[in-house]
Amino acid sequence: MTTAMRRRAIVALAALFAVAAALFAFASSQSATPANGAGLKPAQSGSGENLTNGKKGGTLTVYDSEDFEHLDPGESYFALDYEIMYATQMPLFEYLPNNTTVAAPMLASGPAIVSNGGKTVTIHIKANVKFSPPVNRDVTSADVAYAIERGANPHVANPYFGPYFGDIVGASKATGGPIAGITTPNSTTIVFNLTQPTADLLIGALSLPISAPVPESYAAPLDAKSPTQYGTSSEVFTGPYMLESDATGKFLGLGYQPGKSATLVRNPNWNPSTDPAPAYLDRININIGGAAQVIGLQVLKGSDSVQNDTPTNANVQLAYTKYYKQLYAVPGAGDHYISLNNAKGPFANVNLRRAAYAVMNRAAMVKLAGGTIVGTVATHFITPGSAGYSQSGGAAGPNYPWNKYPDGNLAVAEKYMKAAGYPSGKYTGSAVIKVVSANNGNSPEQAAVVKDGLTELGFNVKLVLVDQSVLYAKYCGVPAAEVDACPSVGWIRDFADPETILYVPFWGPAITKTNNSNWGQVNDPQINAAMDKAALVVGASARAAAWAKIDVMLVQKAVAIPWIFDDQANIESANVRGINDLWDVGEWDYTYTSLTNP
Amino acid sequence: MTSFIVRRLLWGLLLLILVIAVTFLIFYLLPSVDPAVLRAGRNGSPKVIAEIRKDLGLNHSIVVQFFNYVKEIVLHGNFGYSYYYNDPVGGLIANRLPATLSLTVGAAFLWVVVGIPVGIVSAIKRRTVIDRVSMGTALVFVSAPVFWLGLIALYLFANDIGHFHVFPGSGSYVGLTVNPLKWFESLLLPWMVLSATSTAIYARLVRGSLLQVMGEDYIRTARAKGLPERTVVLKHGMRSAITPLVTVLGLDIASLLGGAILTEGVFDIPGIGRLNIDAIGHGDVTIVQGTVLVASIFIIIANIIVDIAYAFLDPRVRYE
Repeated sequence: MTTAMRRRAIVALAALFAVAAALFAFASSQSATPANGAGLKPAQSGSGENLTNGKKGGTLTVYDSEDFEHLDPGESYFALDYEIMYATQMPLFEYLPNNTTVAAPMLASGPAIVSNGGKTVTIHIKANVKFSPPVNRDVTSADVAYAIERGANPHVANPYFGPYFGDIVGASKATGGPIAGITTPNSTTIVFNLTQPTADLLIGALSLPISAPVPESYAAPLDAKSPTQYGTSSEVFTGPYMLESDATGKFLGLGYQPGKSATLVRNPNWNPSTDPAPAYLDRININIGGAAQVIGLQVLKGSDSVQNDTPTNANVQLAYTKYYKQLYAVPGAGDHYISLNNAKGPFANVNLRRAAYAVMNRAAMVKLAGGTIVGTVATHFITPGSAGYSQSGGAAGPNYPWNKYPDGNLAVAEKYMKAAGYPSGKYTGSAVIKVVSANNGNSPEQAAVVKDGLTELGFNVKLVLVDQSVLYAKYCGVPAAEVDACPSVGWIRDFADPETILYVPFWGPAITKTNNSNWGQVNDPQINAAMDKAALVVGASARAAAWAKIDVMLVQKAVAIPWIFDDQANIESANVRGINDLWDVGEWDYTYTSLTNP
Repeated sequence: MTSFIVRRLLWGLLLLILVIAVTFLIFYLLPSVDPAVLRAGRNGSPKVIAEIRKDLGLNHSIVVQFFNYVKEIVLHGNFGYSYYYNDPVGGLIANRLPATLSLTVGAAFLWVVVGIPVGIVSAIKRRTVIDRVSMGTALVFVSAPVFWLGLIALYLFANDIGHFHVFPGSGSYVGLTVNPLKWFESLLLPWMVLSATSTAIYARLVRGSLLQVMGEDYIRTARAKGLPERTVVLKHGMRSAITPLVTVLGLDIASLLGGAILTEGVFDIPGIGRLNIDAIGHGDVTIVQGTVLVASIFIIIANIIVDIAYAFLDPRVRYE
């Protein structure tokens, strides 16, 4: 190469770098300076939202990176699905968007009537509630009975039928046909007979989509297919909106195109006098599948739109700094914790668990998740806003030494290492701690914090990063995989009863060989007995107190390490008056959301 | 030639069966979500999972499952059932194919009509400013990842989030049959982004190939005969120079028909690539199997077409 050629090559390379740097600088300028440091005020909360005085009309565009899982009220069990469910169906009870504790009668004409010492529940339903075309007839109590009975049909496989409806007489052996414990003495009355006095839990569960009526004559042929085609290709609706459908009720290809779009239009048979929801919007166009980085900007800079799923951290930070009024951080969106293997390995020892709890830098994990905008350091398992939260310690949590230091405290940890039989305060055993985490998002960094904490205590840690899709299916949800810790498992309550937060993940007999949700395999006789007893407690405040005690017990035994009480970030366009469902994870409620200039 | 084509088709068929077997084995043996667990959803009880497994035929041996899978594809064109979408995979792929086809064909057209002339001009004007600028620009585009380039293009030119409101932004795609004009407008930016890298590669490829060919004896002979330079370059030079491009072009188009994952993702185009990436995220293996199979079919067909085209383009190649 001659000197001239070299010079030209250098000039060309310099020009190339200059162009690349300019483009990079431009791209960088699109995201704002991170604003998630500790001490910053949290983004505005959705609590106190005004449900009335919205303007009628207009079309809302909803951007959604993720698709829906199920559009059948018998199958749906996912926050995004619920947005469609509660806009298109009328379950027996439903929480108003700004109420986190008491479900209001929706299809039910009044509160549930409990009798027989908490073993019988009677509910009357409203008249003049009609199914959408092509069924076009009034809803009866038999439609509610069928809706719940089909939950036991393997073709429907409702995921929460067992835990919440299993106490109905005959439910344990049900496979989709009539259940002896569900009777309909007349067309507006449904009666549930239970094997145990668990009426409170059942009534709570009747706010879930499964209690939305399903006409047997229409759905049974679809339910006969495996899996059911009801809610997959065709469905009828009772709420203010419906998926755009043809004359036969088929919505596939019209109101829903998998991975592409969903379209909600007004239900012509909806009667406003039967429903408190104002249903301001005329139409909701849901655009599925955009890149998260892009759709967040489309919402913030555009109009008439909201983002359905969680915005990227960069977009949350951008909203925080430049579009503050368009950002909500809704509290009570569940919690995340580090599961510890209570059954096998070093963490079967309670003092080693306490040591791990004490040393863990939970504040660092929260910062990695996005900082104070997306949550606060968790100190127990019942989430803020849920019954039992304040009784079990509120923000400070139960008063135990290992729970006092969000940044971790090595001295306290070493004290419990010594109590576990390690006089030096460091682990000297031969076990290798297997920590399994997802390999996407912030998970690897959060797992690294866990590894650092355990390493400080002398543990030899093997960190395994796997794809999110196999994290539970192959590792954290499979006891035989003998995972010692999963840094970021989490739980969201199903409804306003603390049992829905604690029971499945910590009740020993619920442990299964696969698809196990008791990730730490917590099977403590004292905890199990307390849960069995609390499950039968009648009355909301008594139940809150009973489950709060269990919450404290879980921290006392350090069965897992809670690290974040999640807030759900939501963003909307400037002309949207978005209403979040505070009782769930703060997802948009289309039946109350409106546009300021429709 | 006929026997050659028949031979190639038979090899293609054999290859396809091998691909089916390999993809089936890979997805069966690699750790993945149990489809029955996926279907049962969160909290699905072991009893329900077992019943679903039976319903879906997952309780059979791997051999029986493979046999059923192949039988369904061959006899009924059935690629299986998506556990996540509750929909036949074949229908989902057919639904997404037009978008991917639109994206690929337009981008390929663009990179051919831009890349080849740029390469020719660059070769003819070797070591001039034009050559430096075009090859320097090509280097930038070769180095730029499509995902990044797509985001930059949107931040600059999209009519919703861009600084200059020129092109429809992400999520604006409409089908050709729905509105041809909007279809065209919505794909302009994705075409440019998707073709940028390939345009650059093709320009460099043509330049290099043409420079080599232009030094050959028969080119000197053509010039000695007094043929105009235009004829020498385009008729004699390009005919040889373009041959290697045909191979690359066929395979490039076939690969993209299997899904331009990043471009479809950034521009929210509901094509096969996005279907595939969503399926990977959900652990929906039947869709991944189906899309891999479709991509393989395109590549096999493209290979056959390329082989045949070679015989026509290059008289030195003798297949019979």
